[in-house]
Amino acid sequence: MTEPVLRTENLTKRFGGLTAVDNLSLSLPRGRLQAIIGPNGAGKTTFFNLVSGLLGADGGRVFFLGRDITGLKPHEISRLGIKRTLQIKSVFNQLTVAENLWVTRQAGNRFLHPFRAASRDLETKARVEQTIEQIGMTALAQRPAGTLSYGDVAMLEIGMALISEPRLLLLDEPTCGMSPAETERAVAKIRELARTIDIVIIEHDMEVVFGMADDITVMAQGTVLASGSPKEIASDERVREAYLGRPEDEDYVEEAAHA
Amino acid sequence: MTGRIIIERCVMLAFAAFMLSVPWSVPAVVNTFWVSVIAEILIWSLFASSVNLLFGYVGLLSFGQALFFGFGMYGVGIGIDQLHLSFWPAFGFGIVAAMLMALVSGIFAVRLTWHYFAIITVVFSLIFYFLAVTMKPLTGGDDGINFTLPPTFSFGGTQWSFTNATFQYFFILATVSVCFYLMHLVIRSPLGKAFLAIRDNDVRASLIGLNVYLLRLTAFVMAGFLAGVAGALFAFFGRYASASYMFYHVSGEAVVWAIVGGAGTLFGPIVGTSLFIIIRELVSTHWEHHSLIVGVMAILVVILAPKGLVGLWRDGLDRLMARDAGDGAAEKLPADSKLRTDP
Amino acid sequence: MTMDTLLLLAMNGLIWGLIIALIALGLSIIFGLLDIINIAHGDFFMVGTVLAWASLEATGNFWIGFILVPLICLILGALIQVAVIQPIRGVAALSIVATFGLSLILQEVVRMTFGATPRRILPPISGTVPLFGIEYEIYRLFAAALSLAALAAFFVFLQHTKLGTWMRAVRHDRDTAIAMGVPAQRVYIVTFAVGFALAGFGGVVAAPITTVDFRGGVDLLPVCFIAVIIGGLGNLPGTAAAAILLSLLEGIIQSVANPTVARISSLVLMSAVLLLRPQGLFKGHVR
Repeated sequence: MTEPVLRTENLTKRFGGLTAVDNLSLSLPRGRLQAIIGPNGAGKTTFFNLVSGLLGADGGRVFFLGRDITGLKPHEISRLGIKRTLQIKSVFNQLTVAENLWVTRQAGNRFLHPFRAASRDLETKARVEQTIEQIGMTALAQRPAGTLSYGDVAMLEIGMALISEPRLLLLDEPTCGMSPAETERAVAKIRELARTIDIVIIEHDMEVVFGMADDITVMAQGTVLASGSPKEIASDERVREAYLGRPEDEDYVEEAAHA
Repeated sequence: MTGRIIIERCVMLAFAAFMLSVPWSVPAVVNTFWVSVIAEILIWSLFASSVNLLFGYVGLLSFGQALFFGFGMYGVGIGIDQLHLSFWPAFGFGIVAAMLMALVSGIFAVRLTWHYFAIITVVFSLIFYFLAVTMKPLTGGDDGINFTLPPTFSFGGTQWSFTNATFQYFFILATVSVCFYLMHLVIRSPLGKAFLAIRDNDVRASLIGLNVYLLRLTAFVMAGFLAGVAGALFAFFGRYASASYMFYHVSGEAVVWAIVGGAGTLFGPIVGTSLFIIIRELVSTHWEHHSLIVGVMAILVVILAPKGLVGLWRDGLDRLMARDAGDGAAEKLPADSKLRTDP
Repeated sequence: MTMDTLLLLAMNGLIWGLIIALIALGLSIIFGLLDIINIAHGDFFMVGTVLAWASLEATGNFWIGFILVPLICLILGALIQVAVIQPIRGVAALSIVATFGLSLILQEVVRMTFGATPRRILPPISGTVPLFGIEYEIYRLFAAALSLAALAAFFVFLQHTKLGTWMRAVRHDRDTAIAMGVPAQRVYIVTFAVGFALAGFGGVVAAPITTVDFRGGVDLLPVCFIAVIIGGLGNLPGTAAAAILLSLLEGIIQSVANPTVARISSLVLMSAVLLLRPQGLFKGHVR
């Protein structure tokens, strides 16, 4: 029985009078593609923000592979191997695709050489080229990231998460805003990555979630409503209630229940 | 894109050739006075590039670089006048003083961003300006201190010193060139790329593992170094140090020069500084209100050409090249994306 | 150092504080609503003093200045907002460059028209009152009363007029205000114009007790910023209070040290606030 990749104990975050994350305790085992779903305002992104260090917790603890990472700064948490993408896709717009990957790779080094040309680092060069191929953006390598389509930016984000050899990847709504074709591409890529890396996804697209995830955790009002395999979640009454008012999701939930 | 680089390389070569010939070519065409004007332009370009490093590459607008200029200047002035140091120790003293000051003030200032950073840089520079004005016995206040310059090099019987206008020019040219070369190296290095990432999106930068605070502080100290060297050179050049050069007007003008020239480009500060100082020299003999021109140009550039002259030049060239190549591969960023428009 | 001298300096400080409060409020609304560091704000004050002198020269009557000058400043402010400030809203980071340019322009234009020699204006109310052991100028007391009245009028304007309410709405939450139909463009113009007018009015009030000089704004700028920061960005009563207290404090410190030391201590205090409590020292509306 190995250490869960991510575990929280009574994690709490308040914004003024609103409790966004409420005594959240969950445990995500290694080797399974985890999805976190839930209605808007459930606290999913806040949870990611707490884990990645962008927000400080008001209570509780976060453990990564058994190590207490509560209160660490974002760049320290990143150095430990947790990489995430943001809900609103954002990369370094004025750098090219290749440079985005460059800087991500070199950010992992403790020391940034101030005088030697960045282009002389052959190891990084090789990794960057490899990653660009992996995400299928060789043709766009020299384009400034600010000119990419939304789907390409999302892909670049995944590339950036990849190149830094993460131990845990947190993807916040990776297919949000994508066309069906782009979604397919992204899903295929994520499935491929999940074979070697622990991934946790926040998603709203039920088709994507039920088609991809090994385990699903449902959050509502800042806490865990239910967790289990897709089949268990699909037939869970409380989950259906939480999603009342989203008929299109209900359909998928129905389908998954009878799958 | 490579077409543009070739053109720029040629321009730079021509420029370098010109700069090397100045002590002879300029008096032949105009008069010797302009040699020292060009020397002054070099010094102030270095000062403007300290603003440029912080704003154009890291996204921090400092309105108080005159503080470090002043420390470099007074380091030399006080070093020679009161500590009786010779040339190189005084030079080193000024530079180290400026860098230390940048480190100490940066530790606090870099914790802030956006408008608050600009404000605190002004406040720090004002505090020391007033201190300098008050501590008259040490600094001469607004009137300043004058001193005679010890020789720069002396081997046996020969001496080289700033009293020789040609030597002075070449020493300044050499020092400024070395500093610009160092800047060039940094910009190309992994550190430089990290700076650009922070300027672009500091949240993303911290998420990929960059220590944003430490990197900003590093840039701040580097900029302090550049400003300090400029200040030290200025003291050598004028044999003079005065508190009035620590006032926020001086910082502000450097910001205007850097932005008009082109923030985020290596040569932008040189272009901007040259433009304004040449205008000043040409106009002030006939009309004393040249500051009006500075003010109007500052506003016009911000409204019409926020990328500055070098930025315009590059866009223009890119457009020409793309049209010639006809492959439509000139990827244009949205017009105002060169600048941080979000806090 | 007698008690009388101390009280005298404190009184002067208090009176200046009221005037500076007016000017600092102008700076605060410009900073708070338009997100602009207005380096030219001290020069707005200076323009007020110069216009006061000009109106005196033209009409022989100083009192007209109290109406004329703010009016002119309102118009000038609106024009500047439309011509300079509005076009640069897309590059907010550079607003400081543009206002620095504006500062240079204002100073040079004044130098060109008004000249470089400082002038003095005689107070419209002559006469003194025995106070703190000396004959204290009545005009100074009048200036304090006038400033107080102007401060009160400004707050009434903010609370009870449509424009004032719109300004408060935009300051509080710009996006919601626009969504609810507040005409943001108009609010920006009014804000900048009122900011200029406040500083200009301060200039008229202060003109008889200071020198009218094209550099008159330079000294004032740091003080205004200190008041805005220490009072708290967006906290208007806090800014006014900070201006008054700071001026009082500087006045008192001047009794034991030279004015520059007083200024340095204000600046140090301001740095501490910026670093430790950027929302300002006073409780109240926080942005």
